[in-house]
Amino acid sequence: MDAYIEFKNVVKRFDDFVALDHVSLQIPKGTFVTLLGPSGCGKTTLMRQLAGFSEPEEGDVLVNGRRMNGLPPFKRNTPLVFQEYALFPHMTVYENISYGLKLKKTSKAEMDRRVGEMLEMFNLKGLEDRFPKQMSGGQQQRVAFARALVMGQEILLLDEPLSNLDAKLRVEVRTELRQIQQKLGITTIYVTHDQDEALSMSDVIAVMRSGRIEQIGSPWEIYFRPANRFVADFVGTVNFLESTVTAVRSGQLTVSYHGMALEVPTDVTAAVGETITLVVRPECIRLSGLEESTAEGTTLNGTIENYSFLGRMIRYWVKVGQTEFVIDDANVDLTGARSGAVKLCLDTRKLHILKDGGAHADG
Amino acid sequence: MASGTSVRESFKEMKRLKNEPLLLLAIVLIIAFVGFFVVYPVLRVILFPSVQDYAQLLTKARWFKAVKNSLFMTLISTLSCTAVAFLFAYVIARLDVPCKGLFRFVTLLPIVSPPFIVALSYILLFGVQGIVTKQLLGLQVDIYGRLGLWIVQTVTFFPYAYSVIYGVIRSISTNLEYAAYNMGARRWQVFRDVFWPLCRPGVAGGALIAAINVLTDFGNPMMIGGDLALLPTEAYMQISGWYDMKTASVLAVALLVPAVLIFLVNRFWVGQRSYVTITGKEISLNPFPVPSWVKWGLFGLTMFLSLFVLLVYGTLFYGAFTKAWGYDWSLTLENIQYVFLKGKQIWNSIRYGFLSSLGAAFLAMVLAYIVQKKQVGLNKVLDFLAILPGAIPGMFLGIGFVMAFNGKPLELTGTSAIMVLALLFWNIPTCYSAATAGLQQIGASVEDAALNLGANSFRSFRDVIIPLLKAPFLSGFVLSFLRSVTCLSVVIFLYAPATTVGTISVMVLVQSGQWGEAAAFTIILITIAFSVLRLAQWVLGKQGIKLEL
Repeated sequence: MDAYIEFKNVVKRFDDFVALDHVSLQIPKGTFVTLLGPSGCGKTTLMRQLAGFSEPEEGDVLVNGRRMNGLPPFKRNTPLVFQEYALFPHMTVYENISYGLKLKKTSKAEMDRRVGEMLEMFNLKGLEDRFPKQMSGGQQQRVAFARALVMGQEILLLDEPLSNLDAKLRVEVRTELRQIQQKLGITTIYVTHDQDEALSMSDVIAVMRSGRIEQIGSPWEIYFRPANRFVADFVGTVNFLESTVTAVRSGQLTVSYHGMALEVPTDVTAAVGETITLVVRPECIRLSGLEESTAEGTTLNGTIENYSFLGRMIRYWVKVGQTEFVIDDANVDLTGARSGAVKLCLDTRKLHILKDGGAHADG
Repeated sequence: MASGTSVRESFKEMKRLKNEPLLLLAIVLIIAFVGFFVVYPVLRVILFPSVQDYAQLLTKARWFKAVKNSLFMTLISTLSCTAVAFLFAYVIARLDVPCKGLFRFVTLLPIVSPPFIVALSYILLFGVQGIVTKQLLGLQVDIYGRLGLWIVQTVTFFPYAYSVIYGVIRSISTNLEYAAYNMGARRWQVFRDVFWPLCRPGVAGGALIAAINVLTDFGNPMMIGGDLALLPTEAYMQISGWYDMKTASVLAVALLVPAVLIFLVNRFWVGQRSYVTITGKEISLNPFPVPSWVKWGLFGLTMFLSLFVLLVYGTLFYGAFTKAWGYDWSLTLENIQYVFLKGKQIWNSIRYGFLSSLGAAFLAMVLAYIVQKKQVGLNKVLDFLAILPGAIPGMFLGIGFVMAFNGKPLELTGTSAIMVLALLFWNIPTCYSAATAGLQQIGASVEDAALNLGANSFRSFRDVIIPLLKAPFLSGFVLSFLRSVTCLSVVIFLYAPATTVGTISVMVLVQSGQWGEAAAFTIILITIAFSVLRLAQWVLGKQGIKLEL
C-alpha cells in the first residue's frame, strides 16, 4: 500500500539526548496509527516533526509524497488536538472552532455551515457562545476535536487527548472517536501511553522506546506476537517461560520447562539444546485440579500463592518451580477461589516464541 | 562542561536571530534604551566622586552617622513592618473573623498614597499644633526623630510586606496542617513544624521588600526625621542646599550598595527557597480553628492597628477642610480651592504618570514576551535588565538622571521628557513582573495551536497573545500609574518650576507649615489614584479578571 504519511530515517536531538533515532514509519491513507510507548520514548516528538513544531536534524517527513521539512507549522495543514486542549481562553466555542477557517478567509456562510456540522457531530449545539472556562472538561475536549476536524478531513493528529478525562468518559469518547475516524476516512496519528486505548482504536500500533520503533503491527500482532520482551511487557501483563528445546519436528517444538515437557505448535525453527523464551498471556492459561485429565504436553504443575478477586475474574499468582506466574481466570466460581496445588493448562497455540533471550523475534 | 555547552547553545540561538529581523531589532532597541537610561546614569553617579570623596563616608562623622542611622532605621522598621504584615496576613488568610474587608482596605490605602502621607498626618495628630497633643492633652512634645519615623515607616511600608506574606500563606494548603494533626501533632507543634517553615520564605521575602522601601524612603524622613541624619535626606540637602554633587553621589552610592544587596538576596536566595507550588486544582479544607482567645486577641490587635491607619487618613481629610490647623478649627473649602489654583501641578502628575506608565507597560510587555516565549540566547541578560531598576533607589535614579542628561549627548534638564523617562524606567520592573505573571498563565500550546491552525507568527501574536495580555498589561499600567502619581524621590531632583508635580508641592507646603493646603493636595492625589485603581478593577472585572496589588 502507498504511504500517505511517511517518516524516513528521522533523527532528532536535544543537546546530547537523542529523542528520535532513525525512525521510519509508513502510514497508508485512512489508517489509524497509534504511537505507543512510555513517557520520554519520543512518540510526541515524532508527531511534532509532522506538525512542524520542531525540525528533524536528519531524515524526511513526507505527506502524500511531498516533503514537509522546513515548512512552517501554519502551512502544513496538520490539525492537532493537544493534550491540554489549548483552547483559546478569550474566544467563544464558535470563535475557537472557526479560527482556522477565518485564517483561510472562508466566507461567512461556508464557515457557518462547517462549524454547524462540527457542532452537530460533537453534540455542542447551543454552546456556541460559551467561553472555554464555562464548560466541563468533556465539553472542552469536544471543542478541541471540532476545532481540529473542521480544518479538513485529511490528517488528524491526537496528542494524548483523552488523558484529562475520567475513566468512564474516556472509554465512551474513544469509541465515538474511532467511529468518526472510520466514517470520514481520516488518516490519524494518535499518541498515547495507554495500551487499552492503543489496542481498542488502532489499525496499526507502533511501539516506541528510547527514540526507536520497537515493533509495528496490528493490535493482534502486538498483543500475541510481540517482537521482544519490551513490547510483550509494555502491552499487557505477560509470563515469560525460559525453556530448553528437547525435540524438533516439522511444525512443532518440544521444550522442557522446570523438567516438565510442553509441545508447542510453531513455524519457528530451533536446534535441540537451544534456550528459547515462551511468552504467554495470563488469560491463555486455564487452572484445573490435579485429578482432571488433560492432553499431554500442555500442562505445568504449580501451587497457588495468592489471588485477587476482581469481580469479572480472579487473578492468581501461581508458583511453578521458582517462577511466579500471573493467571487470569474469567470462569469465577460462586463459592470462592482455588488454592493449593493446581495444574496449569496452556493454550499452546497462543504460545509465542522469542529467541536470543527475547531481544529479537523469529518467524 | 555544562556552562560551556550552554554558552554555545546561546550563540547558536543568537545566530538564528538573523532570520527574525523584527525580533532582533526589538532586542537591540531594548538593550540600548535600558543601557542609556538606566546603566549609564548609574555609572555616572558611581564614577563621579574620587576615592578620597568616598573615604569621607568613614572620616566625616556626619556621613558615618547617616550610614549608621539609615541601617538602624531599616532594621527596626523592617522588623515592625514584617510583624504587622504577618499579623494582617494571618488574620485575613486564616481566621474566621468579621471586618476582613476593612483590614484589606487598610493594607491597600498606603500603597495608593504618596509615601509621606503618614508623616504628614502624624504631624497633624501629634505635632506642635497637633490635635491630640496640643488640643486634647495640651502637651508640647518633640515628635521629630527616631520614634516618630519608626511608627510612620511601619504604617507606610507594612502593606508591601503584607502582599508577599499573604500570597504565601494563602498558597499553603491546609491539608498539610491536617496531615500533621492526623499524625498526632498538637496545635503549637503544627505551627512550629509545618506552618511556620512553609511561611518562612514568604516572610523573608516580605521583610526584604519592606527593608528596601524603608532604606530608600525619602518622603517620611524629609518631613518627620528632624535632625536625624539619614542617607537619602542628607544627599538631598547636599544638592538642594550646597549644589555639592560629589558628596551627594557618595551618599547615594552608600545607599545603593545595601539596596542592591537586599535586592539580590531576595531575588536569588529567598526566591529559591520558596515552597509555593501552583497546582490550582487542590481542594483545601477550611483552616483548623484556633482557640477563641487567640483568635479574638489577634483580631483585637489587627482592629487597633486598622483604626490607627484610618485615624491617619481621617485626620488628613479633616485637615484638608480646616482653616488653620492648631489655631482655627473651622471648616473651609479654601484649601481645596488652592489645589485647583495649582491645577497645573495635578495635571502634570496625571500626565507624566500616564505617559511613563504607558511606555513602561509597553516596553515591559515586549521584554517579558521575548524572555518568556522566545529563545534568543540572551534571555537571562534581558531578564536581569528588566529587573535591574528595581534594585536602584528612586533618589539614586533621580541623581543619575540629573548628572547624565545635563549636557551632551542628550540635554533634558528641566523638561517634561526627563520626568517621564525617569518614571518610565523606574517603573519597568513593576510592569515586567505583571507581564511575566500574565504570560506564564498562557499555556505553551495555545500559541502552537494557533500555528497549527494556520496562523503565522504575526497572526498568532495578534489574535492570541495580545488579547490574552490585555489584563497583565493593564494591571502593570495601573500599578505603574499609582507609583508615578505618588512618587516623590525620583522627581525631587528633576523638576523645574513648569514641571512641578503634586507630590513636590506637598513637600514644599509641609516645609513651610501650610498643613491644610498640603492635606488638600494629598487628598486629591489619593482620590485620583484610587479612582484609577477602581476603574481598572471594574474594567477588568467585567472580563472576569481580578486585579491584584
